[in-house]
Amino acid sequence: MKISIDYIARVEGEGAIKFDIEDGVLKDLKLNIWEPPRFFEGFLCNRRYDEVPDIVARICGICPVSHMTTAIRALEKALGFTPAPDSITLRKVMALSQIVSSHLVHLYMLALPDYYRLYSIPDMFPRFEPEIRRLNRMKKVVNEVTALFGGRALHPVSMVVGGFTSLPPRDKIEKIKYELENIKDDAKETLRMVSDLLFPDLTHNTEYVAISSPPHYAINEGFIISQNGVKIGEDEYYSIFKEDEVSYSNAKRTVIKGKDSFMVGALARLNLKFDLLHEDAKEAAEEIGFKVPDYNPFHNNLAQAIEIVHGISECRELLDKVILRKPEIGIKVREGEGRVLQ
Amino acid sequence: MVTSGGTPEGPFDVSLIEGTVTKSWQADELKRIREKSTYLFAIGSCAINGGIPALKSTHPELEVGKKVYQDLSTIHSIRPSSIDAYVHVDGFIRGCPPGERDLCEALTSVLSGKQPDFLEYSVCIECKLKGNICLLVAHNMPCMGPVTNAGCEALCPSHNRACYSCWGPMRQANAFALAKKFEAYGDIFRGHNQEVYSIRFCHCRVQKGSRVL
Repeated sequence: MKISIDYIARVEGEGAIKFDIEDGVLKDLKLNIWEPPRFFEGFLCNRRYDEVPDIVARICGICPVSHMTTAIRALEKALGFTPAPDSITLRKVMALSQIVSSHLVHLYMLALPDYYRLYSIPDMFPRFEPEIRRLNRMKKVVNEVTALFGGRALHPVSMVVGGFTSLPPRDKIEKIKYELENIKDDAKETLRMVSDLLFPDLTHNTEYVAISSPPHYAINEGFIISQNGVKIGEDEYYSIFKEDEVSYSNAKRTVIKGKDSFMVGALARLNLKFDLLHEDAKEAAEEIGFKVPDYNPFHNNLAQAIEIVHGISECRELLDKVILRKPEIGIKVREGEGRVLQ
Repeated sequence: MVTSGGTPEGPFDVSLIEGTVTKSWQADELKRIREKSTYLFAIGSCAINGGIPALKSTHPELEVGKKVYQDLSTIHSIRPSSIDAYVHVDGFIRGCPPGERDLCEALTSVLSGKQPDFLEYSVCIECKLKGNICLLVAHNMPCMGPVTNAGCEALCPSHNRACYSCWGPMRQANAFALAKKFEAYGDIFRGHNQEVYSIRFCHCRVQKGSRVL
């Protein structure tokens, strides 16, 4: 039996998938990312350092903050610049707000219609109106967090190599803290909603990979770890990982050298550093009976919902630590090399 | 990602087209959509000016491709272009990300049967209305505001950084004059390859003899 889906609808980007099954055994599987190539690595060469974050932000409209932060950190490393502790905290706030926002879109708009066999999000009315309203409430607040520090929620402008070009007034931060407090229950409700979904039963023994920097639930920097004992610095990425080109797809495929594919993302992070989650997230996970290690890839949805609880509580707490100093961006350009991971 | 069913083959009252054309099948599809649509708007800097993907035009195709793939035999990409190079466009919803104001303006205009009123002036106007101090004149920062279409409410200058033209060039912008100003300011406005900041910029229209620049 051959199954061929030419356009995978519920993902960001454009892909197709082909299965070749004989007597119930999978003979061949091809994932083809046919999204036209854009050659970012090519045209970034010879550009000014301060243009790079704004250019790479455009790789993705859902996760511009991740691409920007990676570029900023790599450039700062190459230029031998150490960012102020405040900038590091604010970058974490930016990253958390964007991760929560992205998880929300995935769970409510992409996963949920599939689990209820609905065509798409407009078909969710009126049955799921309370859920869609909850999504709107939460998405609005987390987008406001990104916009408050970045200038706008998509393709932020004030986050630059060296720090932040401007900072919001105190009263706006107090207001957003209050709003984050208000959506904490929505986050827990989201987790309950996701835990009610009927997930297919599947165990997939893959290698789970994440970045880690105890005692924090790492975002933006850390060691690369896996449950099979990998622990390397960001610089040593290519000592373990290998990027391959495949003839039928425009996207490259990364594998662990001498081994096979691996899994990153929310479930991988939870499997590797559940203990470092915010207490609120641990409690919420316990309430629905989520335990690590969990080798069912469909439970990535659960992991995302747990990370939503974590992200909102962590964001709220980090904002207490922000001391608003007048931003100073003192970058001296020099020759150098910097490798970072996000 | 999101669909409400309907008829994927058309006809359509309004089509909003995003993205740069970099494949010949995209141009074919675009033409088909135009034929089936009463109104067609370009939305976002990629569709309007080529945007970031059009930066590859600053180098020969092979050179750019070789930096990304070892085997280019299965990689196909044509010279990037804006969508109005292929079809007639009823209006431009500018910005990267595109602005709400212009999107609402386009759709409400269609509904009420009037000409959409898009902003046809530079970021400088919005910046002055906000009462910002000029970054270009007072702080010697490489601000693209004078040649960039308004719509962002002078976002970057209001956050103490120079505009980088994500809304794209405005109609009849005098880019040459700004480039001369940048040149006079000296090295901070130049990249390693000694091209002037403005013409290397992210969202500039790439084709010669184009309508805007």
